[in-house]
Amino acid sequence: MSLALSVGLLAAAGVYLVLQRGMIRIILGFVLLTHSVNLLIIAAGGAARRDAPFIGGDTSMAADPLPQAFVLTAIVIAFAITVVLATLAVVGSKDDDTEEESEKTELDIENTSSDAGGDK
Amino acid sequence: MTLSAILFSTMGLIAITMLATRFIGRNAGWLAATVLAFLAFSVVTRIPEIIEGTGSFSGLGVIEETTPWMPSLDISLGLRLDGLSALFLIIVLGVGALVMAYSARYMSERNVHPHTGYFAWMLLFAFAMTGLVLADDLILLFVFWELTTIASFFLINRSGDKASAPAVRTLLTTAMGGLALLFAVVLIVTRTGTTVVSEALVNDVWVEDQSFTASISVLVALAALTKSAQFPFHMWLPDAMVAPTPVSAYLHAAAMVKAGIYLLLLFSPALGGTLVWQSILITSGLITAVMGAIFAMRRFDLKEIMANSTISQLGLIVALIGVGTPSALATAALYTLAHALFKSSLFMVVGIIDRQAGTRDIRVLSGLWKTMPITLVTTVLAGLSMSGVFPMLGFISKEYLLGQMLGAGDSALIGVTLTAIAVFASSTTFAYTGRIILGAFTDYRGTNRDEHPEGHEMKEVVREAKPSFYGSALLPALIGLVLGPAIAVLYPLIGAAGSAAAGEIYKAKYALFGGFTIELALSTSIILLGLLAISQRRRLDNFFEGRILRFTAIEVVESIRLGAISIGERVGNPTRTDKPAQHLFAPWLIVGLVAVVGLLMAPSVGELVAPQEPWSDALWLGLLVVTVIPALITRSRLVALILVGGAGFIVALWFFALGAHDVGMTQLLVELLTVVALVLILRRLPSVFHTVGRSRQLLTGFLAVGVGVLATLVTFLFTGRREMSPVGQYFLDEAYNDTGGNNVVNTILVDYRALDTFGELTVIAVAGIVLIGILRSRFMLSEITPDMTKWSNSALARSVDNTLPVRMLARWAAPLIVLLSFHLFFRGHYEAGGGFIAALVGATGFGLAYLGASDDKKAPVAWPYRGLLASGVIVAVLSGIWGFAAGSFLKPIRFDIPLPWGGEYGFTSAMVFDLGVYLAVLAIIIALLNELGGVRQSEIEPISQAGPALIAESYHGLGDDPLVKDSVGATKATTPKKGGTK
Repeated sequence: MSLALSVGLLAAAGVYLVLQRGMIRIILGFVLLTHSVNLLIIAAGGAARRDAPFIGGDTSMAADPLPQAFVLTAIVIAFAITVVLATLAVVGSKDDDTEEESEKTELDIENTSSDAGGDK
Repeated sequence: MTLSAILFSTMGLIAITMLATRFIGRNAGWLAATVLAFLAFSVVTRIPEIIEGTGSFSGLGVIEETTPWMPSLDISLGLRLDGLSALFLIIVLGVGALVMAYSARYMSERNVHPHTGYFAWMLLFAFAMTGLVLADDLILLFVFWELTTIASFFLINRSGDKASAPAVRTLLTTAMGGLALLFAVVLIVTRTGTTVVSEALVNDVWVEDQSFTASISVLVALAALTKSAQFPFHMWLPDAMVAPTPVSAYLHAAAMVKAGIYLLLLFSPALGGTLVWQSILITSGLITAVMGAIFAMRRFDLKEIMANSTISQLGLIVALIGVGTPSALATAALYTLAHALFKSSLFMVVGIIDRQAGTRDIRVLSGLWKTMPITLVTTVLAGLSMSGVFPMLGFISKEYLLGQMLGAGDSALIGVTLTAIAVFASSTTFAYTGRIILGAFTDYRGTNRDEHPEGHEMKEVVREAKPSFYGSALLPALIGLVLGPAIAVLYPLIGAAGSAAAGEIYKAKYALFGGFTIELALSTSIILLGLLAISQRRRLDNFFEGRILRFTAIEVVESIRLGAISIGERVGNPTRTDKPAQHLFAPWLIVGLVAVVGLLMAPSVGELVAPQEPWSDALWLGLLVVTVIPALITRSRLVALILVGGAGFIVALWFFALGAHDVGMTQLLVELLTVVALVLILRRLPSVFHTVGRSRQLLTGFLAVGVGVLATLVTFLFTGRREMSPVGQYFLDEAYNDTGGNNVVNTILVDYRALDTFGELTVIAVAGIVLIGILRSRFMLSEITPDMTKWSNSALARSVDNTLPVRMLARWAAPLIVLLSFHLFFRGHYEAGGGFIAALVGATGFGLAYLGASDDKKAPVAWPYRGLLASGVIVAVLSGIWGFAAGSFLKPIRFDIPLPWGGEYGFTSAMVFDLGVYLAVLAIIIALLNELGGVRQSEIEPISQAGPALIAESYHGLGDDPLVKDSVGATKATTPKKGGTK
């Protein structure tokens, strides 16, 4: 149950952060979501058998190695994505804000309306 | 020649002609014409084989060839020449040769752009048509079908600015038919289990499952009707007349529109005779026949008259195929040949008039009968054939068409109705033929108003074209004249074509004069009606002057097209925003819904395998709570980062607790490096987060709690309720025997599922390249350096001294880290470790070196990371190829290497692969330190020297301050207003 609650906690925190403002919080939320999903995948292999899957000793209580291999891959790919997201946070002319200020919003509305007019 | 030789000759001809245009310009057309004529002739020489196939005069003989093409998909280059495809192939290649010869004089003489593209697309089209009629594989048939569509699009589109819209309309219409054909092909292949056309068409399913036959009938008819410009898809053909005249002559008269006819005839053995098939074809065909003929009466542009005439004539053929008796199908084949001859001739004549007189508007043209006598003769010959006058080939085909119409249907009423419509269409044909000849060559202006359209002026002096120009138009007209009396020559070919289309032996026999029959009476009445119409031409012109319908077909198509675009726009609008939250909201909602549905539909979940969990599990959960919850509340970026990093460490502990040692180690190291990367980012950003409104916090909080609860429930209910998975057990049992490795997880990564890992390694390399690309193409935010002036006298300002302990640490730790990294790498196959972990450990060494440096620019991490990224992928590919040489890509090769101190080291090529992983992972971290860490920016004017004012400005977004130069001279287009995060 602790494992399930951990998955849920991380998922909730991740979703919350991802929906806030600013690239950094989105990145942190993404990281937490990754943790959540990785734990879920490991949990899918079962939490009852908890020995490391090494051959040589007694493997009767060894954990399922397949989810572990998946998660190992997932961690590294998530890291690559995190790095790219982080890069996006520091380019451009503003800080990492993901939402426009109010004056920009007006400009945006103008743009959209002129776009729509252009299509007719 | 073999069939594949013919097909590949047409393909090779594309390249040869393209090359030839470089040297001889438009005269390359003669070369192409010669080759195509030779190919057409070689098809003719093979006709006896087709007929001899059954020993009868007109048999079902075929020539078949099969070459494997994509064996894994069961697609073969199955080619087949029967009577039907032979007839169409001769038309495609023969008319192709004529049009090529014609192009050699029609196209302008120039050396700068020697029409290379024109010839390339035309010959690509010839190749596609050749493939289409030869294909005996349904998928191949579809591919060539689409290729003709594409070639047609480009041929129309390349003829100027005005051509774009018609080209798109043509493409949309014909591509829709292509989709219908694709559906049909997929359905047929799944139902009959074969992709071979000739086998699929004789399958029992056509007789047994009438609803299947009916749906295929609709799809195939849809494909053919769009291609052959039949009602209600007729509008693209007149529209496509913006293309150069040779293109129209070839694609839109003789070849591409005939592809639809070919398809109908090809599928006739399976679909013919069914009610759906007959009603669609006869209705659409006859409507088009009448409509096209009337439209031709309304037009003044010779080419537009021809286009409408084409759809009208094709309508008659389509209706004839709908009738579907063997003799009707054979007559349809004959009519197709006759039409190809007279219509290609007429189109080429239009081009000649256009070139010689400077216009093709019949209101302007006058008096050409004096100056262009041979063109007149050509037009009259082809025109007589079109309007079915004795003794042209067109006369015979029209006569027999009427005969078939009369006999169609079960009741006489149907036959009479169809015949009456055909007679009306044919009389109109006769009338507009007169309109063409009188309009083009006499001073008949079409209306009694003395209208003079703007931009259409006839040249003052009009001369007859040279024989090399009019020759290609005259030849098919003459053939149409000769073949009338010599119709017997065609019996074998038409018989074989009819037999193939009917699926039974049919002996063709036609008479130029078959006595005083009803057909002859009908033919005579057509001519009389036509003559009457010509004599009343001024009245008729005035009658047709007004608009018949209140909208044109083009307007309908345009409004459908624009409507589709605006619907798409509306569908896409919610996602057309830069705000990530708006994009990210939907997935959670959907995931939530899936989870709810999953929970509701789930079967009983079974008992937990281990209901008791160790006390430590609760500890990990508790630690997560105390790190994660504050991370959500804090407004400080740094605090949030530290807390999330802490959560990552606890997740790593979770992994260790669950027996995932490799995963735990990787998680630990990745977490470390993530924090390092984000710290590098944070120093360019303000210290606190942006504020978010209360209502949004509540909404997102609500959604987050919902997702969290669902995730918990799903995890709790669906995991931990079974024993080891069979595949997991297999790996535990067999990993050592299969791979020689003890570390099962590592063997899965590099031995069993190496291709996955290879993909992952590529992802890392791509991420590295993306990272470099983003940073080099856009401005990075400036660093926000704290104002050090008030600290200048304190110890904090002395970076060199302050970093001394770390440097001291690094001095002895660095070699150890390198050694540890190698150790982990080499033992990875046997114990916890492997390429990932080893590289991450090695990377922490670089991190240490970076931290220990007194200044960013002095950090000893300036390694060639781009080369490393590439070499990682290359090493992995090489190890893959090594394995490929031994059987399959990435297959591990094992051998033992004796160690100098005794014993052996079990080496496997999987370790070379692991080295690739190592290099790529290491490289991305070095790239990160260099690109974001400021090491690379040595050429930039240091921000700290510019003073606090500039820092403040940079923060507010003046990224393009002249002082901040991009070290690699990247584009400076990114101004604050245009660029930014948009």
